[in-house]
Amino acid sequence: MAFREYKIGTRLFGVALGGSMMITLYFPTIDMTSVQATEVALRKALSAGRQNGFAYEDPFVTGEGKPVTVVLRKDPVTGEKMEPMEAYVFPPGTPFPSAIRHPRTLGSGVKELSLQQGRIGEADESRGAVFYVDHATYQGEKLAYIVNATAIKGWQPEQVLASVPEEDKKYIGTGKTLFVREQCWWCHTLLPEQTQDWQYFGVPPRLGDFNSEGPTAFGSDRKAPDLLHVASRNSSREWMLMHFFNPRLVQPHSIMPRFDYLWDEVDANGNKIDYAAWRKAYEEYEEGKRIYPPEVPEPHPDSRIRKLVDFILSLK
Amino acid sequence: MAWRFDNPLYTLSDEESNKRAMELWEKESLGGLTENNNRLPVPVVWLLALTIVTAFAITFPLWGQRPTAAIYEEYIALMDTPEVQQIQDDAQKMEYIVRTVKAKGSKYEALQDRHPVDMDDLRLIKDDIIELKRQNADLEEYFVVGPDVVLANFEGNLKPDGTRERKQPWWDKGYTIDVFYVAYFCIAVMIAVKRLPHYSWQPDHHKYHHG
Amino acid sequence: MFKYLFARNEDIPPGTAAVYFGYSSIIWFIIGTGLGSFNAAKLAFPDFVTGSELFAFGHMRQVHVHAVIFGWISMAFAMAMMYITPALGNTRLWSEKLGVWNCFLWNVGLSLGLTLLWTGMTSGREYSDFPWIIDLYIAAFIALPLAINVWMTILKRRTQGIYTTNWFFGAGVFMVTIVFLVGNTPEWFQLTGLSEAYLTWWFAHNVLGLWITPVAAAIAYYTVPKITGNPLYSHRIGHLHFWSVVVFYSTPAAHHLMSAPLPEWLKSFASVEGVLILVPAIAFVSNLLLTMTGKWHYFVDNLEIKFTITGVLLAIPLNMQGGFQQTRAINWYIHGTGWIVAHAHLALLGFSTFLEAAAVYYGLQTIMRRKLYSLTLGNFHFWLLLIGFATYWISMTIAGLIQGAAKIYEVPYIDTVIAEHPYMIARWVGGTLVFTSNIVWLYNMWMTARAGTEIPAGRLPHELAYER
Repeated sequence: MAFREYKIGTRLFGVALGGSMMITLYFPTIDMTSVQATEVALRKALSAGRQNGFAYEDPFVTGEGKPVTVVLRKDPVTGEKMEPMEAYVFPPGTPFPSAIRHPRTLGSGVKELSLQQGRIGEADESRGAVFYVDHATYQGEKLAYIVNATAIKGWQPEQVLASVPEEDKKYIGTGKTLFVREQCWWCHTLLPEQTQDWQYFGVPPRLGDFNSEGPTAFGSDRKAPDLLHVASRNSSREWMLMHFFNPRLVQPHSIMPRFDYLWDEVDANGNKIDYAAWRKAYEEYEEGKRIYPPEVPEPHPDSRIRKLVDFILSLK
Repeated sequence: MAWRFDNPLYTLSDEESNKRAMELWEKESLGGLTENNNRLPVPVVWLLALTIVTAFAITFPLWGQRPTAAIYEEYIALMDTPEVQQIQDDAQKMEYIVRTVKAKGSKYEALQDRHPVDMDDLRLIKDDIIELKRQNADLEEYFVVGPDVVLANFEGNLKPDGTRERKQPWWDKGYTIDVFYVAYFCIAVMIAVKRLPHYSWQPDHHKYHHG
Repeated sequence: MFKYLFARNEDIPPGTAAVYFGYSSIIWFIIGTGLGSFNAAKLAFPDFVTGSELFAFGHMRQVHVHAVIFGWISMAFAMAMMYITPALGNTRLWSEKLGVWNCFLWNVGLSLGLTLLWTGMTSGREYSDFPWIIDLYIAAFIALPLAINVWMTILKRRTQGIYTTNWFFGAGVFMVTIVFLVGNTPEWFQLTGLSEAYLTWWFAHNVLGLWITPVAAAIAYYTVPKITGNPLYSHRIGHLHFWSVVVFYSTPAAHHLMSAPLPEWLKSFASVEGVLILVPAIAFVSNLLLTMTGKWHYFVDNLEIKFTITGVLLAIPLNMQGGFQQTRAINWYIHGTGWIVAHAHLALLGFSTFLEAAAVYYGLQTIMRRKLYSLTLGNFHFWLLLIGFATYWISMTIAGLIQGAAKIYEVPYIDTVIAEHPYMIARWVGGTLVFTSNIVWLYNMWMTARAGTEIPAGRLPHELAYER
């Protein structure tokens, strides 16, 4: 390339940029797509649903079209008692996560097990399905894999949902979507680091903990405690509700915003929540005119906060 | 646009191309702007060389890891020796252990200084470390997290036997790609600038432009 | 503006698009920094405005980020391209009409995108937060028309040569289009898992590294020689700068994820490349500062040079931080803390904003043929911006070091929050100063259009004396 020799210059530019993209996109992709999914990844994928950000089934990012996570204490068909287990119910029309749509993203072993033993290839979105996670040995390695309970045990989504009491249903997928929508991750990371974090916030995630998750949303700017294992530290639903309604109720120095608006219109008893009255009472409490702060309303089962807390409490 | 190679550090273009370049260079006005042909100042060349060396040097995992199980191996080996068992006081036991390991010389001395422990800490992790040693595990792949000894979270590099390496690498294919990448860059840019007229020639901007 | 949307291209006065882009960018700067100041207030005083979904911090932070990146910075870039690219080719903008449409669609699309973000419609991916329909809009109606205009103007130039600034402009618009298309593949094709996380940061890194940094630097390559009248110190160093940006700035994306589980080899690779961003930085700073030789009085006398050189000087701490903070030896300490936030503001509000402000100041005067209305207000803007930025940067750096220390020693998290509180207030004060300074700027530019002294034909803005 000599002075003002633009033909060579532009070609060289193409080579340089192409080389850079080769190294930064192609090489890593080979590695990252061959990662074996862990049990954490499978449970995250099945509880979160297809996509927790903007998506065609959920354009307003309110958590439409997400599976329901249930704790099964008895067999939904026979009604026999059994060891409590988690199952993931996709009512008809609920989009499946990448893990089911593209089993290739699970890594070779988990893919083989899920397809052969778990029969996830037979799941049909339009008719819905129920999944759970099981373990098996694949080429000497113990792996978790996905089981299509609809194909293997004949569990139908509606049947399973009907057999489970409300307190055993967890709207983790919708909750994760609200976590993304309300941008909790601007302040709360989902990524303990290998520093003292490990002791304080728990084990950092592993390479295979993310397959099929989107968005990963582990945040970059931590202004508040890491939440990846928050429910292991504090699993009190009551504390969570007070903290969400007004964080200063339980932590006077907190700088977290109030998320009282996630209680929506009515409380658990169907009474309209009077936010103005609550605020007034809280102000009186702050000024010392009341001894106790006003009670936080018990949320309605359909309220957004219930689903968000379901997600938070699933972070073990 | 012909090349010449007899004096590569001086110029890679033949006389004819250089003459044309110089002529164009002086004649042209790009929106009233002109350019000189100065070389990169020598101190800046050294600065760049230093940058490239530093880039590799500082990427090595020098600080910031959690204590690995390996740095306490020698401590634990000493715990059950009669010399240590004779001592009654925990603080003195620990002091004796540290002194003995230091006197023998340890490859982990700096890390041991950086992550001091007391006897109670050692007792908590002792069994785990002995068990790992029995299994022939590489203790450098394990972290001490409070009372637990756990597998480190560094992944993605494979050992020759195909299993995962759980250490931050001192060298791996990432560094190797870097070496080639930087080398190609340096060669390409050197060729690009050596195709220009030599820096001892500076354009005279007043020859064709006035004011 | 509307009257030119449907005018014939020949009837639109040259520079129209640049003027629209210039004023749009200033207005977006005010909106963006206003939101920034509001958000900072919420971090300092959490009950400041509360209980409403729309004014929740989580709904507003990304609006601030995108208003400054796509409104202020990128529109100021477009403004610079619309007048500098043709000027360097001794020609006119290829299509003034396309430029005007570009500006119109840009404002419409950005307003729409920010509204969606504000209501909570997000992809959940930092820096590529826009839902994919907006990403598609940006690629098709914002990036591509700009790219076409810049390329065609360069192709139709009346000079044989292409000046360094135009290498960066031409390459920058190309690279940002590619980055947009590739970086959003997780949304186009529903990629998940680590690939999604990595591509999120691939996008975030490259939109800064292949768009904001090189284009901002390219502006300095124009303003300094143009105003001082000195030739650019070295065409050769320009080569080193350009090629090292393409080669070294496009590769370290993974260094944003040093503490996340990525293959270690990728971190090793990215981290070395990350330090090598010092190569373009060194080339840039040395080339520009040496171009100032003999003309340093402009740094005091001339407002645009004051802005430009401040920006160039801020590139030094910026790249020292940027190069080293991402290495294994250092990243563990400051990752995820306020230090990074300070660094991001050093890049966008320090380094690049000062360079763009110079381009907008100089360009508007040149195109409108009006001398700046008031040097006093200009200096006021400069100092308020600099002091506001410095307050922000220093307070957030300290806050970050506190967080870093707290991360290493097992400090209960709430104690970190308490310790950071004074710095959160300082950050809010700094941000508010920046916001205020920009209102002053808009007033000054408005008055320049209305009441600035006309610049006679054949003269340039910096050749006339300031009047107020």
